[in-house]
Amino acid sequence: MVHLTRRLLSGITLAAILGIATVSTQAATLHMAWSQDATGLDPHKQTAFSSLRLLELIYEPLVRVDASLQIVPAIATSWAFSKDGKELSFKLDPKAKFQDGTAVTSADVKASFERILDEKTGAAARANFLSIAGIDTPDAATVVFHLSQPDVPILTAMSDVNAAIVPAAEITAGSIGTKAMGSGPFKLDKWDPNAKEVLSANKDWAGGATGVDGIEISVLPDEAAILAAMRTKQIDFALLNDPLVATLVPKEASLQLNRVPVLAYHVLQLNPSRKPMTELKVRQAISCAIDRQEVLDTASLGEGKVTGPLTIPALATDPSQLFCYKRDVEKAKKLMAEAGFADGFSATVIGATGEPPTAAAEAQVIQSQLAEIGVKLDIKMMELNVYVDAWLKGDFDMAIALNGGRADPYTMYNRYWTKAGNLQKVANYIDDTLDSQMQQGRAETDPEKRKAIFADFEKHLAEVSPWIWLYTSYSYTAQQKNIAGFVPTPTGTLFSLSKVTIQ
Amino acid sequence: MNYLLRRLATFPLVLLGVSILVFVAIRMVPGDSITAMLGTEAGLLTPAQRDALAAYFGIDQPWFIQYWRWIGGIAHGNFGISVTYGRPVLDVILERFPLTLELALLSMIIALAVGMPAGIHAATHNEKPSDLGVRIVAMIGQSTPSFVLGLLIIYTLSAGFGVLPAMGEFAPLWQDPLRNLSQLILPAITLGFAFAASVTRIARSAMLDVLSDDYVRTARSKGASARSVIWRHALPNALIPVVTLSGIEFGYLLGGAVIVEQIYALPGLGRMVLDAILQRDYALVQGAVLFIAFNFMIVNLLVDLAYVALDPRIRLGEQ
Amino acid sequence: MRILRAIFGHGSGRIGGAIVCVYLLIAVLGLLGLTPHNPITQYRIDRLHAPSATYWMGTDLFGRDVASRLMAGIGQSFTVAFFSVAFATLAGTVLGLAAAWLGRRWDGVVMRVMDVLLAFPAILLALLIVTVAGPGTWTSVVAIGIVYTPIFTRVVRGPALSLKAREFVDAARTFGSSSSYIVTRHLLLNLVAPLTVQVTLALAWALLTEAGLSFLGLGTQPPAASLGLMLSDSRNLMETAPWLMIFPGLAIMISILGFNLLGDALRDILDPRMRRAFA
Repeated sequence: MVHLTRRLLSGITLAAILGIATVSTQAATLHMAWSQDATGLDPHKQTAFSSLRLLELIYEPLVRVDASLQIVPAIATSWAFSKDGKELSFKLDPKAKFQDGTAVTSADVKASFERILDEKTGAAARANFLSIAGIDTPDAATVVFHLSQPDVPILTAMSDVNAAIVPAAEITAGSIGTKAMGSGPFKLDKWDPNAKEVLSANKDWAGGATGVDGIEISVLPDEAAILAAMRTKQIDFALLNDPLVATLVPKEASLQLNRVPVLAYHVLQLNPSRKPMTELKVRQAISCAIDRQEVLDTASLGEGKVTGPLTIPALATDPSQLFCYKRDVEKAKKLMAEAGFADGFSATVIGATGEPPTAAAEAQVIQSQLAEIGVKLDIKMMELNVYVDAWLKGDFDMAIALNGGRADPYTMYNRYWTKAGNLQKVANYIDDTLDSQMQQGRAETDPEKRKAIFADFEKHLAEVSPWIWLYTSYSYTAQQKNIAGFVPTPTGTLFSLSKVTIQ
Repeated sequence: MNYLLRRLATFPLVLLGVSILVFVAIRMVPGDSITAMLGTEAGLLTPAQRDALAAYFGIDQPWFIQYWRWIGGIAHGNFGISVTYGRPVLDVILERFPLTLELALLSMIIALAVGMPAGIHAATHNEKPSDLGVRIVAMIGQSTPSFVLGLLIIYTLSAGFGVLPAMGEFAPLWQDPLRNLSQLILPAITLGFAFAASVTRIARSAMLDVLSDDYVRTARSKGASARSVIWRHALPNALIPVVTLSGIEFGYLLGGAVIVEQIYALPGLGRMVLDAILQRDYALVQGAVLFIAFNFMIVNLLVDLAYVALDPRIRLGEQ
Repeated sequence: MRILRAIFGHGSGRIGGAIVCVYLLIAVLGLLGLTPHNPITQYRIDRLHAPSATYWMGTDLFGRDVASRLMAGIGQSFTVAFFSVAFATLAGTVLGLAAAWLGRRWDGVVMRVMDVLLAFPAILLALLIVTVAGPGTWTSVVAIGIVYTPIFTRVVRGPALSLKAREFVDAARTFGSSSSYIVTRHLLLNLVAPLTVQVTLALAWALLTEAGLSFLGLGTQPPAASLGLMLSDSRNLMETAPWLMIFPGLAIMISILGFNLLGDALRDILDPRMRRAFA
C-alpha cells in the first residue's frame, strides 16, 4: 500500500513537472496514431497503405466491400450486369454530396473514370479498367459502363478508393491531389505531412451522422512509442504493423487489440528466369523444404495463418491439400537430385528493411531451412525504394515480399499470372493453364463455377511453384476499451471509424 | 576581420560543392519519386503514364537541365516545391528549424552544464575514486545508443508511472512554452547524456594536458594557488578541444537528430530529411541539405573564431 | 614491449588492457567460430528461451544462442570499429596536418572538402555508399570511416595550428630543420595525446554508428551478428525478452570502458612531457 501510494504520488509529481494533461480531449475527438503517414491526397494515384486508409475516410467509390468481402452500396445504391456481362449500370444515391455541398452526379462518375483511364493522369488502378469501352449517363443518377468483354471482377475493382469519385469541377480545375474534396464521412481540415492530420465530420454525408466530431491522426514513427502513448491514454486508437509490438497490447488492462486476417500475403518469390529456378523440380524442392508454419511462428510469433495463393476466405482451398504444404525434406532432396543439383546451389534473397517488419526474420528462417537441402542463401536487406526498383526490374534470385491482396482473385493476380500481365517481368513465369484459368474466371458470372475455376488455379499455381506462398498475417488496430463500434476488415480499411463512438 | 571576410567568401564555393554532391547522390540511389509514391504498383504503369508522372515530379529532363533549373531558382530565392508537402521547400524547412535549433541548444546546455564541471573535477582529482566515478558514468553515457536510452525512458515513464509528455502534437515555444519544454526535455536529456559524456572526457583529458604544460607549471611554481591556476591559466587553454567537440556536435544536432526525433515523434529537420529521402522528395532533400550545410559552416566559422579568442597565439589564416 | 610493460604498470591501464585483451580473445574466438553453439544455428523449439545452463545468455527470436552470437558479434563489431577508425585516423591525420602545415590555399581546399563532407547528413552519405557498393562489412567500414574523417581532420588541425604557433616550432625552424622533420618530430609527437583520446572516443562512436547503420538495415546483414544489430533487433522485444538487450548492451559498455581506460593510460605513457603535476 505504501509502495502503491508512493508510486502514484511520484507519477502525479512527474506529471506535474512535465506539465502533462492525461485527459486533454473533448470527448468527441478521436485521437489516433500510426507510424507511417499518408504520402499524398490524390485518390487515383496513391497506393501506400496509410494514404489509402486516410483517403477512404474522405473519398467514396461507387461501391464498397464489407467485412465479409461482399459488395455493398456506397455512392451507388444499386447496380446490375446485363445478361451478356458487357454492360454494368449503377443508380447513384440522390443524397450523395461532395463536401462543398454540390450533389454527386453521373457526370462526376464519368469524369472520374475518364481521368483514371487517361494515361496522362498516371492513375494506379488504370489497368483494372481497360475493358471499359464507353460510359453513358442517361440521367444525373444513372451511369452505364459499356465493356469490351465480360468482366466480373471490375465491380470489385470499383470498390477500391483508387477508383474514388471526385468532383468533375476539381478535375477541370486541376486541384485533385492539392486539396481533398470527397463525398465521404470526414473532411480533411489540416494535413502536416509526416506529423499529423486533422479530420472533421462531414455533416452532409449521405451515410448519416458520424459517431465522433473529428479525428486527429498523429504520426508516431516508433511503434513502441505508440504503445507508450496508449498506456498513458493520449491515444484512443492506433494502427500497428509489428506483431512484436501488437502482441504486447492485450497485456494492458485498459487496451484492446483488434486483429483480422488480411488479404495480403507473405511470399518468397522465386525468379524462374534465373538458373536454377528455371527448373520445375528445383522450385518444387524449395517448396517442399520450407516449413511455412515455422516461418510464421518465428517471424510473426504465430500471428497469422499459412496460406496458398488465394487469401480470400470464400475461395481459398485448405492449404494442407496443396502441393508440399507439409514439409518433406526427403522429397525435396530427391527433387534436387533429379534436377541435377544434389549438392545444392547458392542464391541471393532480397528484402526491404522494415517493410514488412518481419522481412528480415522470414529471410533468416527460410535461409536456415533451405540450408538443409544444400541451398545457400545470401540475404540482402535494402531500403524500400531500392528494393522496389530491383523488384520491378525482376533483378533478383529470390525476394521476400508482402504483396497486397484484393477481394477478387482476378484483380489480385492478373498482373502476374496472365500472358498480358503488366508484372510478367517480375513474375517471370506463365503457362497456358494459368492464363486460360484466369480468363475463364474473369468471364464467369456463376459464383459456384467461379470458385471451382479458381480452386484449380490455386492448385496448379502451388504445384508449379513460381513463388512459395507462406502466410497471411493480421492487420492490427489497438484501442482504448471505451471506444466502441470499430469493425476490422480483411482489406484493412478504417472506414468503420465513421460509426465509432467514444463512451 | 580580413579572415572573416575571406572565410565568408568561400561559403558559396562550398555550398556549390554540397549542391552538386547532394543532387547527384540522391539521384544515384535507385528508385525515384514514382516508385516512392506507387511502390510495386508502379509496375502497372504504361510508358505514357510514367512519362506523365515524371513530368509531374519534374524528373523528366536530363540531370544537368534539372540541376541548372534548380540552381537558377535558388539564385532567385526559390528552392523549389516539395512534392510531399505541396509547398515551397524553404517554408517547410523554416517551419521545422526552430524545433531542431531549440533541441540542439537544450542538449548542448545540458552537456556543457554537466560535462565541464565533471571533466574539470575528474582532471583535478586524477585517478582518485571520484575521477573513476565520473569516468564510469561518462562511459555509460557514451556507450548507450540513443534509441536504447530513449525507449528505456519512454517505457519506464509510461509503464512505471503512467505519464508521458504529449506526443504527436508539437507546441512551438512561443505558443505554449510550458508544453513545449515538457515535450523537449526528455529528448534533450536523451541527446545530452551522450553529448555530456563526450564533453566530460574531452574536458578531463584537455585539462590534464594543460595542467602539465610548462607555463602552467611555471605559474604554479611562482606560487599561484591551485584554484587560480585552474581557472585563470589552464581552463582557457583546455577549452579549445571542448569548443571543437561541442561545435562539431552542435553542428550535427542542427542537422537534426533522426533517431531521437523518431522515438519522441518530434517534427524536426532530421526526420524531415530522412522522410524526404525515403519518399524521394528531391527538391526537399536538396534544399534541406543545403540549409544544413550552411548552418554547419556558420557553426564551424564560430568555432574557428573561438580559437582566436581562446588562444591569442593563433592568427587564423596567416602564416 | 616497453609500452606493453608500461601499460601493465599503470593503474587504469592494467584494467583497460585486461578488458581489451579479453575482448580481443573473444573476438578472435568468435571470428574463428569457436563458440559454445553455432551462432547462426536455429534451435527452433527453444525460441526466446531465458538464460539457462545450456544457453548462458538465453536464446533469441530464432532460438539462436545469444552467448555464441555475442562472441561472433564482438568479432564483427570490432572488425568494423577497428578498420573504420584506422581509416578515419589515417586519412584525418594526413589531411589535418597537411591543412595546418601547408596553410593558405591547401588549408582552404582541404577544409572546404571536409566542410562539404561534414555538412552532409551522415545517413544520406551512408545510404549512397551502401547502395553503390552493396551492404556488408567493408562497406560499413568505408562508410563509417568517411563519416569520421572530417572530425579527425579538424581535431588534428586545431591543435596543430596551436602547436605550430608555439615557440619550439619556430625555434626548430630557425635552426634549419626541414618541414617534414618538424611535422613528424614535433607536431605528430605533440598530437599523440589528443589523437589517442580521439581514437578511443571514435572506437566507441564506431561501435554505436555500426549499431545505427544496422538499425537502418545498412550495416551487418543477417544472419551474421554484430553488437549493434543484436541491440537494434532487441528493441521491440525489450519487454518480452530483456536479456536480448541487456547482454549486447553490457558488452558494448564494458568494451568502451576498456578502450577508454587503455586510451588514458596510453596517453600518459606516450606523452613526451611527464604529467600528473596535480595528481
